[in-house]
Amino acid sequence: MRARVSEQWVEAPLQNFADQSRVTFALLLQPSGQVLGQFGFTRAMDVMAACSLAAAINVTAAQLGRELEGSPFREMHHAGRERELFIAEAPTARGPLVLLAAFDGESSLGLVRLYFRELCAALANAASAADPAPSEADRVDLGENLERDLNRSLAILFGRARPDSEGMLSVPPSIPPA
Amino acid sequence: MSTTQFTGLISALTRQRGVLGCLVVSERDGIIVDADVQAGVDAAAVAALAAALYRRARLCSEAAGLSRVSFLQLESERGHICAAGRDDLVAVVIAETGAPVAQLRTVILQSVDSLV
Repeated sequence: MRARVSEQWVEAPLQNFADQSRVTFALLLQPSGQVLGQFGFTRAMDVMAACSLAAAINVTAAQLGRELEGSPFREMHHAGRERELFIAEAPTARGPLVLLAAFDGESSLGLVRLYFRELCAALANAASAADPAPSEADRVDLGENLERDLNRSLAILFGRARPDSEGMLSVPPSIPPA
Repeated sequence: MSTTQFTGLISALTRQRGVLGCLVVSERDGIIVDADVQAGVDAAAVAALAAALYRRARLCSEAAGLSRVSFLQLESERGHICAAGRDDLVAVVIAETGAPVAQLRTVILQSVDSLV
């Protein structure tokens, strides 16, 4: 299975992470909830919901860590009966990214943590090699156009839009659920 | 240094000649429960991968109708990884090439009973 991405520089690191760690689902997103890449999902609605929840969990866990220990928690793991969930933040030169991974008995927390470490290193390298990080002004723009940007990312991921030469898209402001 | 219920097992194994480290790992999670390894060994990576390897070996053995795995030995260019488990816990030993593997095997199999 191939990872689908909205930004090319995350494709190889995410694909390698998914292949090596044998997770069933993986999502790479910005802390705002905008998806950059996904592995294992087949419906845009699932990605949208998972991104929103992962972003909310990440920010909540970070704040809880600050309250309890003075610094944000580095990662979160939930062991379900059959599936487990792992959420952690990967620092890059283009800002922190959030990884959400779901796995079953084919993998383990140890393997996911091990390959998450490699993912962080690969993302850091890829971010440095990719185009310059967005300026502060661009980041403000992202916040103002959050919904449009979320829809754009989902549209690319599910093949309903393609980035032009400058990485910008021309898609309707909202996309129908898959 | 704090002691745990696995301190005795770990020190019995790390006392053996050529042993570079010993870990007690959860087979399901691949996470270290207790360990004593030399500096330079990536204990978390060894734990995760050795637990995955042991689990696969156990499933393979059971699929072949050979019942449970009693002892697993991985021979590498510069040493050995030995593992034996009970329930969800696996004792993993990292040893250099010159280590007496037969003796190590005996000690691991004797120690594994205390993995509960």
